[in-house]
Amino acid sequence: MALGSLLARMTRTDRWLVLLLMLAAFASLWFVLGRSVGRSLLVYAGDTLAFTAPLDQDRQIELHGPLGDTLIEVVAGKVRVISSPCSRKICIGMGAIQRSGDLLACVPNRVVIRIEGEGGEYDLLSR
Amino acid sequence: MISSADEQLEQIRQRVFMALFIALAVGLHTLEALLPNPLPWFRVGLANILALTALSIYGLKGMWVLSLSRIFIGSLLIGNLFGPGFLLSFCGGVGACLLMSAGALLLKRGIGLVGLSLLGATGHVCGQLLIASLVVVQHQSIWLLLPAFLFFALISGVINGLAADLLVDYLLKHPAFCDCRKGFGRHHVEG
Repeated sequence: MALGSLLARMTRTDRWLVLLLMLAAFASLWFVLGRSVGRSLLVYAGDTLAFTAPLDQDRQIELHGPLGDTLIEVVAGKVRVISSPCSRKICIGMGAIQRSGDLLACVPNRVVIRIEGEGGEYDLLSR
Repeated sequence: MISSADEQLEQIRQRVFMALFIALAVGLHTLEALLPNPLPWFRVGLANILALTALSIYGLKGMWVLSLSRIFIGSLLIGNLFGPGFLLSFCGGVGACLLMSAGALLLKRGIGLVGLSLLGATGHVCGQLLIASLVVVQHQSIWLLLPAFLFFALISGVINGLAADLLVDYLLKHPAFCDCRKGFGRHHVEG
């Protein structure tokens, strides 16, 4: 099917909505990327705060969850999960985080890693 | 003048087609749950094609009935009924239906199925993220996923909208649908 005939299926209002959603997406992207680099990381195991550490010192942290040990690494101000006992390894796939408000989570092993910036807690919603 | 027998026939016809639409939507819902995902909760929302079709042919009530029964039956089939996955898809579905209803009522004149589909995709994302931040993850950071979800909603919304538009065009050519269209979503192409 030709592209033109598909385009003809969109009304003028539809095109405005496409534009509007694109703007909204870019605006939210701008908000997310514009956050400052964080200062320290907070590690939660289950519902309790297990560990806090500054981001500017490289280290490895081992956490004991219900499934086993989750290994977290801090290098050059970035945090990543390098090994996890969970089945889908989404936490490893999430890559490295460094900005305040960023979050790494391994739901199966009940581990949440959060980055805190300067000047208290800011997240996307409180701006 | 329409006799009551005709009306009755029309009612039965609508019920049968709604059942077919729901069955199809449940099929797509299940199929999508089987597909691999780049991230949890990323869904193309193929089942929404049927919700749009119902909205276009049978109106708002058709859409709500279709979406809600699709989510319940689909989740029952997948086996996550009343689990966190179900909660997410339920709230996504309600968010989608809310935004699509609003769009259909407010922009009645101009909006087409692609626009309605976009609203549905956006509503789905917002509903899901809202319930995820309130109940499942319980942390505001989940909203950092919003841009990725919105871009994804943009693409999947347009694709679903076009698919629904083609389907409705095709269906309306059939005599069973000729004179019963009471829904929303203007057609640019006259079938």
